Amino acid sequence: MDLFTDIYNKVMGFFRRTDAEETAKDAACNRLRVVLMQDRTNLNPQLLEKMRKELIELLSKYVEMDKEALELNFEQEGEQMALMLSIPVLRAKPEEEIEKALEEEEAKCEEESEEESSEEETPETDEELGDEENIQEDASEEEVESEEV
Amino acid sequence: MTGRVIVITSGKGGVGKTTTNANIGTALAREGKKVVMIDTDLGLRNLDLLLGLENRIVYTIVDVVEKRCKLKQALVKDKKNPNLCLLAAAQTRDKSAVTEEQLKEICEELQKDFDFILVDCPAGIEQGFQNAVAGASEAIVVTTPEMSAVRDADRIIGLLEAKEEIKSYRLLINRVRPNLIKSNDMMSVEDVVEILSAKLIGIIPEDTGIITSTNKGEPIVNDEKSLAGRAYKNVAQRIMGNEVPYLDLEAETSVVAKFKKFLAGLVGKEKVGGKEKQ
Repeated sequence: MDLFTDIYNKVMGFFRRTDAEETAKDAACNRLRVVLMQDRTNLNPQLLEKMRKELIELLSKYVEMDKEALELNFEQEGEQMALMLSIPVLRAKPEEEIEKALEEEEAKCEEESEEESSEEETPETDEELGDEENIQEDASEEEVESEEV
Repeated sequence: MTGRVIVITSGKGGVGKTTTNANIGTALAREGKKVVMIDTDLGLRNLDLLLGLENRIVYTIVDVVEKRCKLKQALVKDKKNPNLCLLAAAQTRDKSAVTEEQLKEICEELQKDFDFILVDCPAGIEQGFQNAVAGASEAIVVTTPEMSAVRDADRIIGLLEAKEEIKSYRLLINRVRPNLIKSNDMMSVEDVVEILSAKLIGIIPEDTGIITSTNKGEPIVNDEKSLAGRAYKNVAQRIMGNEVPYLDLEAETSVVAKFKKFLAGLVGKEKVGGKEKQ
């Protein structure tokens, strides 16, 4: 009987729904959002991982961060899709250190271009970033907790 | 007369494309519109069964394409409603038997004589889908509040958006279960609409009556008491451009409503028949 299973579920539901667990509905919505973003962008997990690594490489020049905790996610914001990047920053690097690292890199690039042996690494990464629809970096200064997606 | 060609598609199988087709078609015909349904699911035809017309099919769409008969000869008239016709799929051929171009021609020809041409699309995104969509300018994307169906609907929407001929598409959410939505066990209609960011045309509740109606070969819109039937009739109204409010499914399927129905069943069926309609 439909009716009695309904009543049973109602009564049981009343006792069950006390904890703040993720509901089946929320799980479905969240999983779908992630999977649809991947479907829509044609970015498979391997490519996403590559993007993650390249971002870490790029950003480590400027800040010291918890590389393991870096989160990269797509989010839907109305009509637009956003790439959300959440990085727990351990320590802001001192200016001199950043500049030194950049100079070193430049020198390395020049050497490489003089030799004309291989392609430059950094501009390529930059370009790839520019291609993404929207990049929002959650973390700018001190530690930022990765927000729930 | 230039009829509107509407393709009914979903990506995923089993979400109720054919049921939707049969019911919207029947509902439109009941409103006095001339309707023809084309089953393009070659090799896996089913629309004839849902309409109870399986024994009346002489010629199929493949016979038309291969010029064994005229288009008009292949149209099977509905048992009850003379406004309603079916162009059946061939059961013994595969999807390659009809091309996009040929389907387009058939649709163009039918547009002269009918108000609505409803194209029943096969599941999947391969050639069968491409064929079905070829002649259409509008689409109804059928989905259910389940992850896999929503994901496939998203794919279909992407493909429809890439088609220039498709001027508009709207979402029909089928097999909605208000009880599960209320208990947060199932995605709600709002969730699905938001995730797909598509316009809605209908919300159809899960209804066991669909099974019996399929078994009898009688679309559920002919059953005045059925909630799903009423929801499908509303969809037909919206297709015709009339604004109809969505049914309050939660209230209609609540325990109280069911209990009332249950009691009514004990008291006597005739008495409540009229009440239930409202």
